[in-house]
Amino acid sequence: MSKPIYELVDQLPTGGITVRALKSLDFIVPGQWQNLVGFDNTIRAVTGETDEALIQQIGERAITLFNDKSEGYQRALWLYQTVDSASGMLGTAALAGRIGQDVSFLGILKHLTPKPEKLQSLDLCVKLVVELVAFCQINGIPGDSIGDFLAALGDYAGESLMRMAALTCFDGLIPLGPSFIDQALSVLKQTSPSELEKNQTFIGVNELIPGSNSSGKLKFITESFESTQGWMSSFVSNNGLTRERVLDNLQKFVDVSKDKADYVGAFLDIYVKYYEHTGIQTLARRLIERSVAEI
Amino acid sequence: MISPRWRKALTALMLSLVLIVSACSSQEPSRYSQIQEETSGRNAPAAVADEAVQGSNFNQFFPRSVAGYDIVPYQEKNGFAEYKVNQDGKNVAMLAINDTTGTPAAAKFQNSEMSIAGYPAVEQGQNATAILVNDRFQVKVLSRDPAFTKDDRAAWIEKFDLAGLADLS
Repeated sequence: MSKPIYELVDQLPTGGITVRALKSLDFIVPGQWQNLVGFDNTIRAVTGETDEALIQQIGERAITLFNDKSEGYQRALWLYQTVDSASGMLGTAALAGRIGQDVSFLGILKHLTPKPEKLQSLDLCVKLVVELVAFCQINGIPGDSIGDFLAALGDYAGESLMRMAALTCFDGLIPLGPSFIDQALSVLKQTSPSELEKNQTFIGVNELIPGSNSSGKLKFITESFESTQGWMSSFVSNNGLTRERVLDNLQKFVDVSKDKADYVGAFLDIYVKYYEHTGIQTLARRLIERSVAEI
Repeated sequence: MISPRWRKALTALMLSLVLIVSACSSQEPSRYSQIQEETSGRNAPAAVADEAVQGSNFNQFFPRSVAGYDIVPYQEKNGFAEYKVNQDGKNVAMLAINDTTGTPAAAKFQNSEMSIAGYPAVEQGQNATAILVNDRFQVKVLSRDPAFTKDDRAAWIEKFDLAGLADLS
């Protein structure tokens, strides 16, 4: 049993590396993400209601829905938490004790190892698939057609859009450079099911990826990546995103060195838990939206 | 050697210190502790009744393609479906249908003196208007922008296929 949902939302940090790294992406999705924390705060912000009795009622329904495992919310939480910790596990043991502390990039540089491109490419693909699977766990498959489903995905806003911006920048553009989409897809196509089985990020979330075996799961990951690559490449081009620009902005919030982009990727991988942070915010928002409508 | 009087005083001091420390460290219980307790045990009741209609059955009754607005699917869960209403890319309202079976949601309509499209209706809080169809299905419109008023909510409720929903059982 996970922690109560209201505690998870109440305990979201208001500062630290994850929050600062996400704030550095505000230039891409201006005003979309305000780091909304606190369960009651989220209820007020989402619904615009102020009556305490009504807030209590909405909160109670949200907690009831979250606690019912068959509703899928706990699986989504698990996915968001696991994909972050599994990909960050590659950080060396020397850094393990420092997670959660405010570390300096240069201070730990000697312990960082850039992740091999193949591994990073697979991580990117697995994380994207986790987003799709978590989306379905939280929202079901809304609408009556594939077009409806894509419209629902395309309507990403707020913390969900921020998570996708972070995925694009922190797991794509910074560690892999401008051709990260093509590169990830070509790596994916050369990956065998047995190689996939050895990927830490995949191991972490394996059981919730659709497919009866690793080969079926690899197929699902490839198809999902292929169908969302268009979205990602227009996201990059519409926003004029370059590694340089992202790093410039990141440097304003987090102490990193621009000339060591590979190492910045490894650093972000270990210390920035953006999936879990924004994932809990997404979960809370969707639960509250459902609850206020159902009561 | 400590005199018995001092020992007594010291014990009292230590005791009060223990009390102060434990009082500070124990958090006030959350306003949600009780519901957490009731819904998280092994025998906790299901959040949605088994006989509730699947959300996918509700899609057909939502208004679609209203001039000037985009209506985007948002959630489709057990006993529940919801759509977003966007205007120029901005979310201005939410539309929802849910099956109230097994929840207390239908009770608020019992003393309602208001009606919309012939169904009992209520205003809930500042941003929601709801009706109850067939004593079972709640149709709710929620404002997400101050410009989307109470009157807009009532007008949008009428855009649902309410007769179709009433035939669903």
